[in-house]
Amino acid sequence: MRFSTLFNLFVIALSIAISAEAAEDTDSAYRLGSGYAVNKTGLRIGGYANALIGAPRAAPWHFEVTDLSLFLTWDNGSRLRFFSELEAGDVLRAGEHQSLETQNAHFEFERFYIDGLVNNNLTVRLGKFLTPIGQWNLIHAAPLVWTTSRPVATENSFSTHASGLMLHGSALFANRQLEYSVYGDVTNSIDPHRSKEPFDNAVGGQLRYLLSDTLQIGASFANFTLTNLQSSRYYLSGLDAMWSYQKFELSSEIIYRTSDHANIKNTWQGFAQSVIPLFSQRWFVVGRYEFFDQSQDTTGQVGVLGLAYRPLPPIVWKLEYRMGTHNEILAPDGLSASFAILF
Amino acid sequence: MRIVYPLLVVMLFVWLPARAIEPLAVITATANPLDTLSFDDLKLIYLRKSQMDSEGNRWIPLSLPVTDPIRRNFSLTLFSMLPEEQQDYWNIQYFNGITPPKVMASEEAVLRFVSSTTGSIGYIRKQKVDNRVKVLLLITPSADK
Repeated sequence: MRFSTLFNLFVIALSIAISAEAAEDTDSAYRLGSGYAVNKTGLRIGGYANALIGAPRAAPWHFEVTDLSLFLTWDNGSRLRFFSELEAGDVLRAGEHQSLETQNAHFEFERFYIDGLVNNNLTVRLGKFLTPIGQWNLIHAAPLVWTTSRPVATENSFSTHASGLMLHGSALFANRQLEYSVYGDVTNSIDPHRSKEPFDNAVGGQLRYLLSDTLQIGASFANFTLTNLQSSRYYLSGLDAMWSYQKFELSSEIIYRTSDHANIKNTWQGFAQSVIPLFSQRWFVVGRYEFFDQSQDTTGQVGVLGLAYRPLPPIVWKLEYRMGTHNEILAPDGLSASFAILF
Repeated sequence: MRIVYPLLVVMLFVWLPARAIEPLAVITATANPLDTLSFDDLKLIYLRKSQMDSEGNRWIPLSLPVTDPIRRNFSLTLFSMLPEEQQDYWNIQYFNGITPPKVMASEEAVLRFVSSTTGSIGYIRKQKVDNRVKVLLLITPSADK
């Protein structure tokens, strides 16, 4: 309740602050999926929301509003720009054995960074950002992905966020764009909110090569310790690829993680996903195969089959069923449905 | 019958959409030291992948409304896609705090903005170019899908 009241007051204050202007440009208006540009200030406010229902085969059903994220961007055309993503987690929850509750709602900064553009090939980023491993982690927001469930390989073996310094940009290589990022996470003092399984320290990087307008490949590496397991150093490498054409999509990621601790198993994890558009390109069939080595079990495998409906580009309804073997802990069997909106 | 056939041909040329579309001029302010631009560089600017010009100024790419035929031809020519087909790409960029090119209401609005704003770049029909701006590139749009 307190959050919604505060949000309403914030919107009213913004509306008062905005002055009318001759409509030579149309960017001052709010557009669904593009946020609200605050007239000539360089500020843009937006975000996304996601609600889901899960019905695991071997557990009670549950309903959650899992993500309510607010983007605040500042870019006034100078060499500096700022981005933050403030997320309200566990906003609403209910279940078979649980009445509707909001007392677990909390706020956390998912991302919080400043970019300094040096030139077209180099940008310096300082703050908290998404770890550049694979593609899914960099676009994991519910309105941008095709399934309610997230592949194990995209979040299980590394911290999904890093806090520190990143150098990123692109250059021409063999007449195609090669994008790169290199980062270091050596302190938590600039992490406004400690992530789940955060890095204690990490260095890593990613290369992404755009072979054509429809095909890109990526390679990632990371060398890190986790805050909760500081005695072990991990070494991770990954490959990913995505092909897309006229709403058809094929994507795949694979990672391999080793460690210098004799008792920690080396693990391979990966997935391959296909998306096929149906009538009027608003309905899509999604299929995904995943495999994941597990520290305490044999290799798990799952298959996901789902439907997605996009009445408008920023809105998606999803329905899927997941089943597999040796998957009870990391990716249990069951049905799930969700609604996500980019606003 | 001898009259009907030529009449039909004339009607076809008059009523069907013209397949030859006039060139579009990619324009910038006359004070911009840049004199030419390659097609590939233009593409990167309009994907917001190229953020700065050679002088270190931020590019401000301008576009026309989604329903404007000029915009649609520009999009087909540059990206082989209609504007609405790029929405997935711009959703991802929005998630990363990057906005699409600024949308101006008309070609005259583009001309006024480009002529008065450092770093701005836009496109208008070649016939609309005047001495307020200079042309970096002429492109011949693809026919409509």
